[in-house]
Amino acid sequence: MLSIKNLQVSVEDKEILKGINLEVKPGEVHAIMGPNGSGKSTLSHVLAGRDDYEVTGGSINFDGKDLLEMEVDERAVAGIFLAFQYPVEIPGVSNMNFLKSMISSIREARGEEELSPIDTVKFIKEKIKLVEMDNKLLKRSLNEGFSGGEKKRNEMLQMAVLEPKLGILDETDSGLDIDALKIVANAVNKLRNENRSFIIVTHYQRLLEYIVPDYVHVLHDGKIVKSGDKNLALELEEKGYDWLKQEVVA
Amino acid sequence: MAIAIENKIDPAVERYRQLFDINEQQLNGQKAHPFHQVRKAAMANLEQTGFPQRKDEDYKYTRVDKIAKVKYADAPKASVSQEVADGLAFEELDTYHLVFVNGRYQHQLSNIGETQKGLVIGDYKSVYAHKEAASFLEQVIKSDLGKNAFVDLNSAFAKNGLFVYVAKNTTVEKPIHISHLTVAEGEEFIVHPQLAVFAEQSAEVSIIETFNALQEGAYFNNPVSRFVLKANANVKHYKLQNESSSGNQINNTIVSQDRDSVYSSYVADLGGKVVRNNLSSHLQDSGTNTNMYGVYLGKGSQHIDNQSFLDHAFPHCESNQLYKGILDEQSRGVFNGKVTVQPDAQKTNAYQQNSSLVLSDTAVMDSKPQLEIFADDVKCSHGATIGQLDEDSIYYLRTRGMNRDQAKATLQFAFLAEVLTHFPLESVRAKIAEMIEKKLKK
Repeated sequence: MLSIKNLQVSVEDKEILKGINLEVKPGEVHAIMGPNGSGKSTLSHVLAGRDDYEVTGGSINFDGKDLLEMEVDERAVAGIFLAFQYPVEIPGVSNMNFLKSMISSIREARGEEELSPIDTVKFIKEKIKLVEMDNKLLKRSLNEGFSGGEKKRNEMLQMAVLEPKLGILDETDSGLDIDALKIVANAVNKLRNENRSFIIVTHYQRLLEYIVPDYVHVLHDGKIVKSGDKNLALELEEKGYDWLKQEVVA
Repeated sequence: MAIAIENKIDPAVERYRQLFDINEQQLNGQKAHPFHQVRKAAMANLEQTGFPQRKDEDYKYTRVDKIAKVKYADAPKASVSQEVADGLAFEELDTYHLVFVNGRYQHQLSNIGETQKGLVIGDYKSVYAHKEAASFLEQVIKSDLGKNAFVDLNSAFAKNGLFVYVAKNTTVEKPIHISHLTVAEGEEFIVHPQLAVFAEQSAEVSIIETFNALQEGAYFNNPVSRFVLKANANVKHYKLQNESSSGNQINNTIVSQDRDSVYSSYVADLGGKVVRNNLSSHLQDSGTNTNMYGVYLGKGSQHIDNQSFLDHAFPHCESNQLYKGILDEQSRGVFNGKVTVQPDAQKTNAYQQNSSLVLSDTAVMDSKPQLEIFADDVKCSHGATIGQLDEDSIYYLRTRGMNRDQAKATLQFAFLAEVLTHFPLESVRAKIAEMIEKKLKK
């Protein structure tokens, strides 16, 4: 589904990613861990298509297509969803209207059948249950004045509504209390199926107690320095990142 | 030398004098009418002051001398269909609908029906018959003489006007919608609509003024609207301006507020070539509340200038002002809000904010929120921001499947929508929202 080969990325002439290789097959959950500044967020945003990054080498293939040739919105249509670490507040856009227009435009772009207004609302209500969100938040402006937990839940709601092939969670767990964290994990687990894959970018192992990954990769200084199964996360938790840094240097 | 300059008569004014004299000769027995005396005084004042020139500080950013000097024809009579007139009404909103075409009232196109008790809607001619109302009206028009050249021009040339009277303790159930439709044909012409609204003690009414053009064409609309609010009255005043792209409008709205009254202005400026709004409220006593909300959206070479004036001279008054707008292509926006808080006006709350998005290198916004405070126990704030669309927000929306243009239009709309949330009438809000969205997509 997703094939990243020798990806090299610079921001303002500074090399951040120095040759990433990653294969994600349908239905797999990959966790990417690493210390601050290792390039985790850069990888997330390069996949989503943010402009500020310069891809200097390598390739990304998504579903047989060259992802790097696609616009941000084309990637969303193709099935890539990025849950932001810091979701943007947009005053004046009602959350409900935003979801509605998102549904209608994405369905149209994907060549799917249009949902009637009643079915659209039904669809949204269904997904709200999944993220245990208060209906009141639908009437408010998009993310405006939402608490950290509410913002992340709203990201999960958008993900549920857009039904992506690949969901990327960029440090969604950072700063969340345990209740909010469980809700986020629960949403991912419910959305997880044999065709839908996830890349969970996180700094902390705790989230992986609730979302059990198939693979864990450690990113350090722009490279994946170690890959393993869920036990690698536990090892990291125990020994910290310093252990790895030493190992890499050695 | 100075005397020679002062004596130089503005040729534009001179032409209006000739026109005025011709009009006067056509009057028969009405020359002695008190209203004609007011017209004469207005013309004399205009001669005295002339039109504002570029050097006038208040007109620094808006060249009105160019508009004043055009040789305008009289507004041609035009007829429009009932269908067109009905199309001006708001969906799902029952109103007293009064239709004016090229400044002339069209009774057959309007929809007033029976007016409720305590409400009078009529033209000035019907007011002349009521001595008390006539002298009331005369007083109000007289009190503005010599203060503004375009108000004087309007007073000198308006042949008729619309009069709304709301009696004490009357809550007008249906909004009063005044539709001004311009049908531009032939030569560039001038229209002088006049509106006078009197709200007696504890009266409540919503007035909606809309300005639309049936087709493209050049004209100058010079409306003057007056609002007199007695104690504890509450008037909500909407103005939706969508003139033709070669139509100019200089609008003067003059409000007088008595004790504890609430005047709220909701303005949307979407059309027009050069648009200038002068909005002022004259506070006569304590406890008043004045709200001024406005949105503007300029494209092409549009020029939209909002001027407001508020003088707090009494204690315990409140004023809120929020104007937001978008300037794109070569358009230009001006905001000049003057609020003064006099030494006696303790416990005043005055808030003023103007924010604009300037989307192209050639669009310009001049913002001057002026707040002068001479009292010490007040809560006041003012501010202006001029910015561009936030790239992070565009990116965020695009990751949700919107293309760049959709994301931009969404953010632009959202920027203006913040102001629209203050407009109480849902149907008006929806109509303005629809027009904004349409214009953003163009």
